Amino acid sequence: MNEELILQHGLTLDEFEVIKKYLNRDLSIEELGIFSAMWNEHCCYKTSKKWLKKLPTDNEIVIQGPGENAGVIDLQDNDGIAFKIESHNHPSYIEPFNGSATGVGGILRDIFTMGARPIATLDSIRFGLIETEKTKYLLNGVVHGIGHYGNCIGIPNIGGECEFESTYDFNNLVNAMAVGHVQKDKIFYSKPKSIGGLIVYIGSKTGKDGIHGASMASDVFSEEDEDKKRPSVQVGDPFMEKLLMEGCLELMFSGLIESMQDMGAAGITSSSVEMASKGNVGVYINLDKVPLRQPLSAYEILLSESQERMLAVIDKKNNHKVREILQKWQIDYEVIGEITDTKRVVFESNNKKVVDLPVEIIVDDAPEYDREFYIPRKRKNKDFDFSKIKLEDMIINLLTNLNYLDKSWVFDQYDSTVMGDTIREPGQSSGIVKIHGTQKVIGASTDCNPLYIRINPYEGMKYTVAESYRNLVACNINPLAITNNLNFASPLDPNIMGELVLSIHGLKTAAVKFNTPIVSGNVSLYNQTNEIPIKPTPVIGMVGSNMDLNKINTNKFCEIGNKILILGKQLTKNCSPYLLQDQKIAFNICEFNDLEVLDLDFEKKIANCVLELSDLKCIMSCNDISRGGIFSALLKMQYKDMGFRVKVPDPIDLFCEYSAGYVTEIRSKDFEKVTSFLTKKGAEYLEIGEIIKEGIEINSKKFDYFDIMNKYRNDFEKIIS
Amino acid sequence: MSFKSAVITFPGSNCDRDALCYLKDLTKGEVHNIWHEETSLPKVDLVILPGGFSFGDYLRSGAMASKSKIIDEVVKHANDNRYLLGICNGFQILTEIGLLEGALIRNKKLKFLGKNCFIKKKFKNNFNLSIKDNQILQIPVAHNEGNFYCDAETLNLLKNNEQIAFEYCKGEFSNTEENINGSIEAIAGITNKKKNVLGMMPHPERAYSDFHQSQDGRLIIESLIS
Repeated sequence: MNEELILQHGLTLDEFEVIKKYLNRDLSIEELGIFSAMWNEHCCYKTSKKWLKKLPTDNEIVIQGPGENAGVIDLQDNDGIAFKIESHNHPSYIEPFNGSATGVGGILRDIFTMGARPIATLDSIRFGLIETEKTKYLLNGVVHGIGHYGNCIGIPNIGGECEFESTYDFNNLVNAMAVGHVQKDKIFYSKPKSIGGLIVYIGSKTGKDGIHGASMASDVFSEEDEDKKRPSVQVGDPFMEKLLMEGCLELMFSGLIESMQDMGAAGITSSSVEMASKGNVGVYINLDKVPLRQPLSAYEILLSESQERMLAVIDKKNNHKVREILQKWQIDYEVIGEITDTKRVVFESNNKKVVDLPVEIIVDDAPEYDREFYIPRKRKNKDFDFSKIKLEDMIINLLTNLNYLDKSWVFDQYDSTVMGDTIREPGQSSGIVKIHGTQKVIGASTDCNPLYIRINPYEGMKYTVAESYRNLVACNINPLAITNNLNFASPLDPNIMGELVLSIHGLKTAAVKFNTPIVSGNVSLYNQTNEIPIKPTPVIGMVGSNMDLNKINTNKFCEIGNKILILGKQLTKNCSPYLLQDQKIAFNICEFNDLEVLDLDFEKKIANCVLELSDLKCIMSCNDISRGGIFSALLKMQYKDMGFRVKVPDPIDLFCEYSAGYVTEIRSKDFEKVTSFLTKKGAEYLEIGEIIKEGIEINSKKFDYFDIMNKYRNDFEKIIS
Repeated sequence: MSFKSAVITFPGSNCDRDALCYLKDLTKGEVHNIWHEETSLPKVDLVILPGGFSFGDYLRSGAMASKSKIIDEVVKHANDNRYLLGICNGFQILTEIGLLEGALIRNKKLKFLGKNCFIKKKFKNNFNLSIKDNQILQIPVAHNEGNFYCDAETLNLLKNNEQIAFEYCKGEFSNTEENINGSIEAIAGITNKKKNVLGMMPHPERAYSDFHQSQDGRLIIESLIS
């Protein structure tokens, strides 16, 4: 086997030597393909595994941690919640519509593979500067793709993020998260139960799409690659997925299936190898039986990433019943192999064994690297000059920055109310859906603070987790668990590897403190094009619950005359990175001061106050303070033409970032009760003003409410078109 | 006598469960779920064709579903003077069957539209009896092809026969649109000439529960039951 072929398959020569030595023979091309698929970063986490192992993944409510298609947590009674986030960055840059659509399709399959019915999706999407035509094209394509897939299959989209920064000019990010509801006694795992069980193929026929997708996703990009790699992007069919979902859930509910695996990244290879590995068994598959869309070689069948396909194991006696149910849903179904006791993965084609490998070498012996990393140098703090900055300009700066404007243009392209259980739609601090037929609600939020993490990966990651935590707490949702999507550039650069290591460490620290274990996740490395690396973007999705839907808070103003109270601690002007960046005071990453250390105990204390006061129905509405400070939080809270009148010592305070920051709306009659409660708890608060009709007033200066709101609500669409 | 109803499920329907809950919770009567390949329909007062993407909407929205086996029975049900309600994709199916006039084309901005919309009743019929004149209802829409279109002659007929049931309108506060998807005369829902068949783009089944943002969707079932 020549070197070029090995390198083309994304393996290093050292890695290849390990395989050859183990097998003591040369490999078939199909076998090389298998190692290419299984030993890349996307499937085996060879760079990140060492560090991911340090994350907390278990507590009293975790039913399933990382390692399955999705994590599952306990929601009392027989209710469980399955959820996971996954990236589709590279495909979405090459072909935004299909790349993002199949990202949604893939994550939904991960959820219903567990026996869970998907009940919500969220998307964290990041693009370069809107000034380029390319970004407009990508934004339109990605939003269209996400909407197209989710709307058609009929799962409400309840939130996420959409941000713009030059770091993503040549490498946009698309992370899709899905949440599902499962009955605890009907969770399905990928581990097969019995030797001799039939391996069955369910779903769309296999075609050439997506061959080598997983290894592409683990590679550095150059711009010329774009056209060449387009055939590696899968094409999605949400109608097929809807049928597949209903068919699979019916099979699972009828108890006709032993185990199931989604044919996602690395297709039939990855799903069958994982099945064998989890069950400590072997698999035999006859590739001639695989339903094909077009003539394919054994190699192509093994590596195709055609969408909407599942691999399941069934008992022989159920074959007929399974076929009947799938026929009703008009889904292709074929018995293609069986579970063996050999602990080997065997694929046959044209009566010839094209692959015959011990499971051990593929999975257990997969490479694991301890890559070199640098710890960023400590920053020297300095004072910035705020003297020339005027309140009017600060407001204009926010209202001309896409990151602060109302993103209805995005969310309105998603169906957020299908399934009839949506309580909070996108655009609020967290999306909330009801568990069908119960009073329980699930809240979810996705977050990342790339600028914070570039400045200080460890503290920045703590802030990221705290922001998601606050998003949920603001709605009176108890935070429960986390899924993560670590988007980084090439780990071969020790600086970037350092950011990866330290941010995982920050994630760990915050997750332990908040008792929110990480139950699922995804790593996306090599996010760089033309050697321009993205800012570190470890996105987290946090899920929480409230057992009583009547207790949750709104993020929107309720009543004119109610008081506005601020909780938390303001970061100083000099240490509010987004204030400095977005008010055009600091530009270069080297200019920023270090982040203030985030006191997680303080975050918890304030959060508990918000949760308790909400339970007492003393908080009428609440929003967390993040990027854009109090001012931005207040804009997001406006509703039914209600505005605000506030007084603060220095107008710049309104734009500073916060730790444990919440804007709360309190009725006058509850005011004393609330403040004495806070004093008793030792929680600082600041009364800044009240809700008024159709007005915005800051330190007695009046602003045109309708002008500001009109810009806030409508300029996003103007800027991007 | 209790009110009986049924919801048809096509492959790709995704609001069938929502419609079933809507009927169960509001009518308190028998509710049937009928698979599209069935060839008989129980005798019920109301049939709902639910929203979704029947058969993926791959030909034209609703076109494939309009050729399903159950459709003959649905037409018989309507010809029997009983109520038939098509919501969203159901409305599209009704125009494809020919039970309702006109067609639903791409939204004017050529984008899917999933948001709250505001409607009011135009002409009185049994589906909107409980709604006051000029009462503004808040009900979500979620469609790609909801832009109602018909030729001038048909439009005149619809008006003269008072077949326009709902039209889009501005809400109470700023930043609400008059005609969200560009429908001709802001039409949001029409009936047949006999006014026992209604097609509408907004989803009343997503606006009836206490936890929904609005409960205005109740008024349609309340109108039929009263």
